[in-house]
Amino acid sequence: MSTVVNDTTIHDLGYQRYEGAREGVRGAWRVLFAQGFRAMFGLGRPLKSKAVPAFVLAATMLPCLATLAASSATKGQLPIMYGNLIESQLILFVLFAAAQAPELLSHDQQHRVLPLILTRDVTRDVYASARLAAVWCALLVVCAAPLLLLYIGEIGIAVDPAAAFTKMGTKAGPVLMQATLTAWVIGAIGAAMASMTARRAYATASVIGLFLVATAVSIGLDDLAGVSADVSGFVDPLRSLHKMSLILFGEKNRAMDLAAPPPLWMFVALALALGAVGAIATCWRVRRVRV
Amino acid sequence: MLITHELTRRFGNVMALDGLTVSIEPGITGLVGSNGAGKSTLVKILLGLLEPSSGSAHVMGHDVVRENRAIRSLVGYMPEHDCLPPEMTAAEFVSYMARCSGLPATAARERAAEVLRHVGLFEERYRPMRGYSTGMAQRVKLAQALVHDPRILVLDEPTNGLDPAGRDEMLALIQRTGREFGMSVLVSSHLLGELERVCDHVVLIDAGRLVRAERLGALTGETGTLLVEVDGDVEAYCAALMAQGLVVQRDLLRALVELPNGDDAESVARVFATHDIVRDVAVATGVGLLRLERRRGHLEDLFAGATT
Repeated sequence: MSTVVNDTTIHDLGYQRYEGAREGVRGAWRVLFAQGFRAMFGLGRPLKSKAVPAFVLAATMLPCLATLAASSATKGQLPIMYGNLIESQLILFVLFAAAQAPELLSHDQQHRVLPLILTRDVTRDVYASARLAAVWCALLVVCAAPLLLLYIGEIGIAVDPAAAFTKMGTKAGPVLMQATLTAWVIGAIGAAMASMTARRAYATASVIGLFLVATAVSIGLDDLAGVSADVSGFVDPLRSLHKMSLILFGEKNRAMDLAAPPPLWMFVALALALGAVGAIATCWRVRRVRV
Repeated sequence: MLITHELTRRFGNVMALDGLTVSIEPGITGLVGSNGAGKSTLVKILLGLLEPSSGSAHVMGHDVVRENRAIRSLVGYMPEHDCLPPEMTAAEFVSYMARCSGLPATAARERAAEVLRHVGLFEERYRPMRGYSTGMAQRVKLAQALVHDPRILVLDEPTNGLDPAGRDEMLALIQRTGREFGMSVLVSSHLLGELERVCDHVVLIDAGRLVRAERLGALTGETGTLLVEVDGDVEAYCAALMAQGLVVQRDLLRALVELPNGDDAESVARVFATHDIVRDVAVATGVGLLRLERRRGHLEDLFAGATT
């Protein structure tokens, strides 16, 4: 074994026992999280896995820059509407989750790496929680980036940044809350749908499909069943997230002029519940994957 | 080392394991059975990937269900199926697996490089595994099972899909792992010939039940039968041998002659005498002696006897 060291060749020292540190479950969780977080942005993956993250980041940040430029050119006459910008970006966040969450959760099933991981210092719950955390953190970065860009930009282009900062201080909370809850909902639902199948394409389609179906049902309730928009809005996670942003940033759209919107806490509770359901579904599924 | 007691696992109506009680000792152990005999199910239960329906199993004194965590650093698992993500390089993948076993990043990289060298993968380890041949893929699978320095290696059909040369290399590697690295190895296979070459013990299961578990030497040593192959009238030859007072069985063109048992001088002398009779009778009946050898036990015989 390792005690025999052959002096004549440098290359073959024989088999060496490993006596060093073992970090156990915590180390394993960290590497699953880190590897997953990188994979969400296509790092350590082939070029085509980087396409969607790059596109989504560009497509969400550029309109913010344009808005800032317009506002700057008009010397702040053109107000910056956070909520309206978010509306068009939500579907891009969904696209990001749909394209990238399967990189973590389907990929391991597709290439049957999961049984190997599960015979190491990783239980099924550890695996599910590490992957969920990776999806959430990546989405938090993607969701917060455009909002933070707007926020910092709005202060930066102000005539008097210091005064603007004092005035804008109250907006930091809504920015972070909106980003966190958006990531929580879209991340958990994306992870849950991605973990259901070993086929990447199906996983991606099912994430997008779920949100589209929810939107379609919501619109159907509106138009066909004549349910009030306030109620039907709750069926569609994206519409709820948008409405929540309007309330958070104190903005309005036409529908809201007619009747007072539902209170903020209902939207927050809905978002928290949706994310929790997604997280539980992910754990439930990972526990049942046949390996 | 590995002990199961009345181990049973059901998949719906199918009994994959049916009250299997076996004790596996340190060394290289072959787990033999036809496809669907329950080999992979047993392996997965020992690894904690599946829970038994009833009964118990222990790995180095740890219960596989209750002390699942303790077993994880003790075993290395090489699955039967493909398990390599195509876009990763072997070096990345093996060190990733090491880190999943809780090794710190630097140690994981060093260990990965070391075990990849042991299995004979050098420059190729920096290439994505998409382009690997089956032989290279099998080496990477073995390397990832070794990387966290387990005490027991569990190899599920390690020679599957390899050409004869690749198979020889893989078997040599397994043998080296068992002998030089000081690990116990449980290697499953449905190919018996290859197990004969590397294993100390063999466990034979069929339809989820234990058929035999023995030291390999006991199974494949010399038997007390002399195999005589002759050219000519076998029937007359056998009759002539029996006339000399020997116990003879005819097997196609061969005569199987029972030899006396025992190690004492008298028995050995009688064994020599029997050889003489066989020769003399051949001369007397005018048949040509083609082959004369002690019959050896083969795993195939054992297997055929067990399953038919």
